[in-house]
Amino acid sequence: MQFRHEFLEKNAILLLVASLLTVAVGGLVEIVPQFFIENTIEPVKGVRPYTPLELAGRNIYIREGCYLCHSQQIRALRDEVERYGHYSLAAESMYDHPFQWGSKRIGPDLARVGGKYSNDWHFAHLRHPQAVVPESIMPRYAFLEETPLDYARIAADLRTDRAVGVPYTKEDIANATADIEAQTNADANHDALLKRYPKAVIVPSNGRTISEMDALVAYLQVLGTMVNFADTSEEQLRR
Amino acid sequence: MEEARSDVVIGVMMTIFGFIGLWLASGALDVEMSIFGLSLAGFACLFILGLVRRHFDRAEALRVAVEAPHE
Amino acid sequence: MSEALAAPRAAVVYNDDVVKKFIIASMFWAVVAFLVGVFIAAELSWPALNFWPPYLNFGRIRPVHTSAAIFAFGGSALLGTSFHVVQRTCRARLFGGEALANFIFWGYQFFIVMAALSYVLGFSKSREYSEPEWHIIIWLVIVWVAYLVAFTGTLIKREEPHIYVANWFYLSFIITVAMLVIVNNLAIPVSVFAAKSYSAFSGAQDALVQWWYGHNAVGFFLTAGFLGMMYYFIPKAANRPIYSYRLSIVHFWSLIFIYIWAGPHHLHWTSLPDWTQTVGMAFSIMLWMPSWGGMINGLMTLSGAWDKLRTDPGLRFSVTAVGFYGMSTFEGPVMSVRTVNALSHYTDWGIGHVHSGSLGWVAFVTFGAIYYLVPNLWQRNGLYSNRLAAWHFWIATLGIVLYITAMWVAGIMEGLMWRAYDAQGFLQYSFIDSINAVHPLFIVRWLGGVFFLLGALIMVYNLVMTVRSPRTAPGRAERFAAPLAAAAGE
Repeated sequence: MQFRHEFLEKNAILLLVASLLTVAVGGLVEIVPQFFIENTIEPVKGVRPYTPLELAGRNIYIREGCYLCHSQQIRALRDEVERYGHYSLAAESMYDHPFQWGSKRIGPDLARVGGKYSNDWHFAHLRHPQAVVPESIMPRYAFLEETPLDYARIAADLRTDRAVGVPYTKEDIANATADIEAQTNADANHDALLKRYPKAVIVPSNGRTISEMDALVAYLQVLGTMVNFADTSEEQLRR
Repeated sequence: MEEARSDVVIGVMMTIFGFIGLWLASGALDVEMSIFGLSLAGFACLFILGLVRRHFDRAEALRVAVEAPHE
Repeated sequence: MSEALAAPRAAVVYNDDVVKKFIIASMFWAVVAFLVGVFIAAELSWPALNFWPPYLNFGRIRPVHTSAAIFAFGGSALLGTSFHVVQRTCRARLFGGEALANFIFWGYQFFIVMAALSYVLGFSKSREYSEPEWHIIIWLVIVWVAYLVAFTGTLIKREEPHIYVANWFYLSFIITVAMLVIVNNLAIPVSVFAAKSYSAFSGAQDALVQWWYGHNAVGFFLTAGFLGMMYYFIPKAANRPIYSYRLSIVHFWSLIFIYIWAGPHHLHWTSLPDWTQTVGMAFSIMLWMPSWGGMINGLMTLSGAWDKLRTDPGLRFSVTAVGFYGMSTFEGPVMSVRTVNALSHYTDWGIGHVHSGSLGWVAFVTFGAIYYLVPNLWQRNGLYSNRLAAWHFWIATLGIVLYITAMWVAGIMEGLMWRAYDAQGFLQYSFIDSINAVHPLFIVRWLGGVFFLLGALIMVYNLVMTVRSPRTAPGRAERFAAPLAAAAGE
């Protein structure tokens, strides 16, 4: 052993290459198959790319570091399913670049928070969490309401997302700004928006400038709602 | 000499980085990119000034050592 | 080792300047990292402290804490000590000259400042321990390649026949971190002029890539690199050779081979395929063996020199660090078992585990090395005050104990409360009940952090006074002047 190892100990480049090869094995065996084995992500009906407004909201979620306190991954454990809803499916985050599964719950899981509370509840809660949940330790996010949403270049975001694999169509990209305006206007015609993005939740800005909070709420309201579990078979759910 | 060669290589590299920084800042679409670009350019300038200073410091140390080797 | 033999042969002028700079930076960032840590711990105890939104909100400051601790404090310590160790064990001056060394030092500090600034401004990739956006990562990769060149170049031009074991660990740390950082940060920016980028991977695959990175940031940045530190500074301070050369070889190869597989244990019970979770768990348990092999190798090096623990405050830190290393590398495999993980994941147990490793192992082994290095590099006979170092040791140890016990209790309590059922078969507690229940423990954790910070401030004072004390170790200064004169004569 000593004799053979001496060879490596006397050659820096060889040592470098040998240790690189050694550390490469684990990653190759575990990661590469994820992209080729078909059942890594079982396709499920209903999962769609985010609307431009939801995507903008998601970017605010990332920017503010929400993932540091809120997970978005319901594990297949009885108490989690009872508390938060159906366990998360791989397909539900297949358009998430990057994923937001999180690693720590200083607040509750948000994977299926969509539709659980009203828009107004979310606005009140983000503005001043303690006004809604007195014992909450969440920081206030009132400033989001006062910050106008910068969506002039949202089409570029959709285009980049498409480059990494999200199936936005040319039409989706061309209508990106219009879709944001439609999703924040209660009186607008929502047919085109809802045809492109079924189940998108309208977050009316009531005539004021579209704020970052509108976008964030639109994102929160879609979380976990895309898949209809009533018409999804057991077989589809089993990985 | 190793020191001089290394000064040149790193100096050229830093010059390129400085220009990249200015280029990024000039086209920046957000506040982060303009801060980063300008900081990179500033960093490159200061670093190159440091290279120059250390070059003369070394020359000076050598000169002192030659003049008074048995101090 | 080599240093003792250096005198009769031709003297090599080491580049100590860059080592000194990294040591100073490491101490500076240690205080920053601990201070920010104390602040965010206080925010969790008293949420009113999120008083300057959005800049001081927990979500933006927490990456500042983790990056400052891992990359600024830990990273500066690793780069500095690796340059010290590689020069002495190779008996060669650092490759690339002053300019390359300075580029690595200032380039790395530039990376840290830019990263911290970008988090506060709201630019984050949301990948834990790898939050900087693409442009800052590219800068880091450039600096890292320069680091690899300087380190490997020094190994190649060495005057010693063998590459010393500490350098194997440093080398694998450098090359693996390069691989991890590059793969984990594959992304497409919205524009070359925009900081925002979208990850090349999505969902389950993205999660796996991130935790392959995340776990090995621990495995290679916080373990392999610091093991390099252990393999040099413990034998040096104890004045004993490494306990077993053969064990070092087994330790090294098994550790680096097995560590890389363990990432999926961060994703138990999730929508990641089961086979990957199981493989990750199996390797995490196997990892216990090389970890303890390394611990034994470190501790047994002291056999016959245990009395030095009473007199050498630096060695006391290093040895306690190895103890903490043993403890957290036992705790880790336990937590990676799926059944245990069902309880421990998402709770503060994880936070406690990380801190028993980072405070107990990473910080303590660094303190040990720095208490050894500062008098040595600045040519002083010893520390300004061994008593202050002893105070630092006990205050910091108390801080760690407070921190990790509070987090154990809090984590297990959260895990149990989330899964508790009442007599009727309903979930017994709402989520906010668990937050209320851990409030006192969060305060204890904050107090533990305050103690640790206090200890670090004592150390900084002690080191500053050491450097300011009169020079008491002649000889090295003259050795330094000789080659200059020789160079002038040529």
